[in-house]
Amino acid sequence: MILAVRRRAAVFAAFAAMVPKLYLAYNAWVVVEFAVQILFMLVFVAFWHAVYANAPTLGGLDVRQTINYILLAQIVAPLVQSRLILEFGGLIRQGAIAIELLRPVDFQARYAVESLTSLVVFAVQKLPLLVIAWAFLGLRLPVDGEAWAAFGVTLVLGSMVLFFTDWIFACLAFYSTETWGLSVVKIAVATFFSGALVPLPMMPEWLRSIALALPFAQGVAVPVSFLGGISPVSALGPVVLRQIAWLIVLGIGSRLVFRHAVRKITVQGG
Amino acid sequence: MFAIHADELSKVFRVVRKEPGLRGALQAIVRPRYERVTAVDRVSFDIEPGEVVGYIGVNGAGKSTTIKMLTGILVPTRGHVEVLGRDPHRQRVANAREIGAVFGQRTQLWWDLAFVESLNLVARIYEVPPARYRELLKQFDDALQLGELLRVPIRSMSLGQKMRAELAATLIHEPRIVYLDEPTIGLDLLAKERIREFIRQQNRERGTTVLLTTHDLGDIEQLCPRVIIIDSGKLIYNGPLTTIKERFGRFREIRFEIQESAPILETPADCERVLVEPHRVTFRFDRTQTTASQVASGVMNQIEVVDFSLAEPDLASIVRQIYQGGLRVAEGRP
Amino acid sequence: MRRYLSLYGVFFVQRLKILLEYRVNFLIGATSTSFLQAAGLLALWVVMRQIPTLNGWTFDEVLLVYGLVTISESITHMFADNLWTIGHSYIRTGEFDRFMVRPIDPLFHLLADRFCHDGIGNLLVGSVLVVKAMSGIGIPWTAGNLIYLSIAVLSGGAIFIALNLLTATTAFWLVDSTPVTFMVYNAYEFAKYPLSIYGRGIRIVLTWLIPFGFASFYPASYLLGRPVGLLAWMGPVVAAVFLAVAYRAWQHGLAHYTSTGS
Repeated sequence: MILAVRRRAAVFAAFAAMVPKLYLAYNAWVVVEFAVQILFMLVFVAFWHAVYANAPTLGGLDVRQTINYILLAQIVAPLVQSRLILEFGGLIRQGAIAIELLRPVDFQARYAVESLTSLVVFAVQKLPLLVIAWAFLGLRLPVDGEAWAAFGVTLVLGSMVLFFTDWIFACLAFYSTETWGLSVVKIAVATFFSGALVPLPMMPEWLRSIALALPFAQGVAVPVSFLGGISPVSALGPVVLRQIAWLIVLGIGSRLVFRHAVRKITVQGG
Repeated sequence: MFAIHADELSKVFRVVRKEPGLRGALQAIVRPRYERVTAVDRVSFDIEPGEVVGYIGVNGAGKSTTIKMLTGILVPTRGHVEVLGRDPHRQRVANAREIGAVFGQRTQLWWDLAFVESLNLVARIYEVPPARYRELLKQFDDALQLGELLRVPIRSMSLGQKMRAELAATLIHEPRIVYLDEPTIGLDLLAKERIREFIRQQNRERGTTVLLTTHDLGDIEQLCPRVIIIDSGKLIYNGPLTTIKERFGRFREIRFEIQESAPILETPADCERVLVEPHRVTFRFDRTQTTASQVASGVMNQIEVVDFSLAEPDLASIVRQIYQGGLRVAEGRP
Repeated sequence: MRRYLSLYGVFFVQRLKILLEYRVNFLIGATSTSFLQAAGLLALWVVMRQIPTLNGWTFDEVLLVYGLVTISESITHMFADNLWTIGHSYIRTGEFDRFMVRPIDPLFHLLADRFCHDGIGNLLVGSVLVVKAMSGIGIPWTAGNLIYLSIAVLSGGAIFIALNLLTATTAFWLVDSTPVTFMVYNAYEFAKYPLSIYGRGIRIVLTWLIPFGFASFYPASYLLGRPVGLLAWMGPVVAAVFLAVAYRAWQHGLAHYTSTGS
């Protein structure tokens, strides 16, 4: 009973902590990253226009759809990170992991809540980018609220899928000290297979099947396809079900892997 | 020629005045208001080659700003400085060759390199001839007992070891002037002694001029026949250490924790009652006239003492006394 | 000059000693950047296999452009990495004062103090791309072409260094110059692809203002026999000019530093 109340209090606290974070959401680095993102978007728009110069459609998508997709995917792409492995690595190195695990609030729940709240901060930070892309770079946004709702739902579910995936990967920190190198590899692989660089329909069959077998696409390609007008809202049902399936599998998997990994260091005293 | 000649040296900073709060932060960007802060105010002194001089002052008095001007890191706002006949800013490289500097706990050596490798690199930077380098290395090895330390990287060294390594690295190119900023800070007494002895020895054998900035009066006492005291950017004393000791080092304060209040406590001979509190009484005595133990026994004979402590004279109180006692700068100049 | 060269050698060897102590880390650092590049290149391949040319450039030709700029980037990555952290690692901590007290040029000291092995990854990737592209297109490996390539790549690297130096100089005023450097540096993304795909405005910027074009597009055009006229040979000139401007700015920044003490 107490545990449930505590858990709820922790969730509440995390949301409350969000407020000052929103104020700090804008600082020099955010502005610069914003500017660089716009730069990259200019590159992509020019690139894709050149790509479509001689072909009306590619992978079933026309130039409008692709540019829409790429612009949105690039905005959403930073959700794919490998922050957790660095976090775990740091805790293990400092010997603080034991303390963290003894806290009354569930270790993973804390990070999950933080992940959700940072999703909100992320959305706030990216809003200007969305506006600029829409105003100057030819991004077309849907008028009907249904597409936005589909986007929102699949984005939240997708970001949780990414969270659990990152969690499982982060457990490698218990087995190796090369956390930075591993994180870079993961970002490279994950970014590609999330569909942030190339729309999935354009990939050759073998590559696309790998992408669909991996969870990363759930966080970028899936939600963006709704907002970009590639996936019709009518397809929402099965998509959400698939995401929930991913969530269940990865959610349980992440707890199992984590428990196994923790046991390794408590037994070996690492 | 003087080793260091400072003439009306001044440094004025233009600082943005920041008001607190969000509005103040915005104002600082849009329409900044500047204040002039005088860190060093017309400081003049001369240091002969081979002298060991203490340059002391409380925090924020202007010590490090002065040193930065002497080493060429900062340009004076007014006045000028000559080090070994050169302007340290205009002739930065030539000056750099002849000086060495220890900046407190910030090491000049490379964190992950074995000490001897760091030393090697420093020697190459200063173009120390290889034969001379080997000779000096051996000398420092003996004098500082470097031994196994040579193979250890700085990150693994204790504070005392780091300082020994630092000194060796600073002197490996045989500079004529060395600026030491807090060289013994954080060290235990034995380590301090070793460092002080080394500095003394180098000064004796090589005639290296040493300018020592420190809060540790023990360093000053052991190493510096002459001191320059700076306060709020102004030079307030420049003269022999002995004068300071005679004038202000004479007095000690001794505090007794007692059980009963003691209005009836008789002040011991050659003593002055400074402060009386409910269970505590403080006396000041002249060290040349009496000793701490005499004062203590004088008090303990009268009343039961729970605890007592002896206060060392500190820099702040000496500075205060200089202002109060009116030891004017002119008196102290040699 | 020769002294500085041999001194750099000593710095380099000492740095290597530190790096090799962490041998595995060394390897991972050197290869990690390659993974990010690989992802980008895979994406490029996926796209280009669907179309005959990109604005008239075949896949191999695009790879030549991409590879050249990658090699140029690796040069600044390896030899001028400290420019990124000059603000918060050297000026803010007071470490920079140590450079001012040593009898060597502070800029040299800053750069020599850190050879960054991560850059080797990009050097390898870029070289592989260039070799593959040139073989695929059939550009002969004549001495002339090799010399031209070397000059192009060195000029490109110099342009990268000059731009990073120019932006790093803001550290003397802003203390943290990393955001500024980040912004200008990332413009090189444009130069990964043939400049002909961009509008005139961007092309002018990338040729004369932030001249990454000389690190990739113009040398590639020359080697491919495409008409670029004088621009094929102006790389070294542009590099020299920008280096001079950047160094002048550096000296200005140094004067500001010695006057206000940061």
